Amino acid sequence: MTSFVFEPTRRDLLAGGAALAGLAAAGLGASAAQAQGTSLAMPQLDSAVADDIAAAFAGGATPIMEGLELDLPALGDNPAAVPVRVHVTEPITEASWCEELILIADLNPLPLACRFTFTPDAGSADVAVRLRLIGTMPIRALARMNDGRVLVARQEITVAAGGCGL
Amino acid sequence: MARPPRIWISNDTPALGEIVRVRAQIVHVMESGFRMDANGDPIPPNLLTGFTATLDDRLLMEWLPETAISQNPYIEFTFAARASGTLRMVWTDESGVVAEAGQEIAVG
Repeated sequence: MTSFVFEPTRRDLLAGGAALAGLAAAGLGASAAQAQGTSLAMPQLDSAVADDIAAAFAGGATPIMEGLELDLPALGDNPAAVPVRVHVTEPITEASWCEELILIADLNPLPLACRFTFTPDAGSADVAVRLRLIGTMPIRALARMNDGRVLVARQEITVAAGGCGL
Repeated sequence: MARPPRIWISNDTPALGEIVRVRAQIVHVMESGFRMDANGDPIPPNLLTGFTATLDDRLLMEWLPETAISQNPYIEFTFAARASGTLRMVWTDESGVVAEAGQEIAVG
């Protein structure tokens, strides 16, 4: 009478190990999905939507890369409130003023961050707000002057973690 | 209007033509619409949608915030002091006016 003793071969062990690893990966995947489940915010894959917004704002005019200054930190340590200042550097007079200004956060789920409109009575175009950003991305500002010129400024910002779920 | 806006103004007795800088912040949840509650249902958005600054009856600037604006929105702007008057700031969201503030500006 021979007793059957299961002696696992190296192949069995490897197969079992792979199965276990598969289970662990599935578990991790589930928890990652759960973590994502608290927020519907998904970053844009590229700047295509932002480009469309910028083109619609420019309305055919070729944006000029000067005259507008965008001031933001190189590293956004708090992604839920990144200070951004944008101002038209040329003098604002009653003959030449900034009509409208937009801020675009390229990779945010909704890239258009905000819009400003000015009247000649303001005599200035200098604003600052705080943005929440989902990750590292370029920020751009576009300004339309009353003579039809469109000014643009662009700057990259590094953000540690997303602030869009907040 | 739970808490009044916090306002800072560089100079409320500016010289004629002086650039006056205004900083203002209100308390607002700025619910993005991306968050989910404990049951996994999306929380409806509740965003600030408008801000206007007027000097007496003349509009200076308007701000239209979107989802990317932080909670408790902060706004900073400047204007040229060309006349005395009351600088009036109004914040609105979908439910209507959420905050108002006024400041006398006396051009000296």
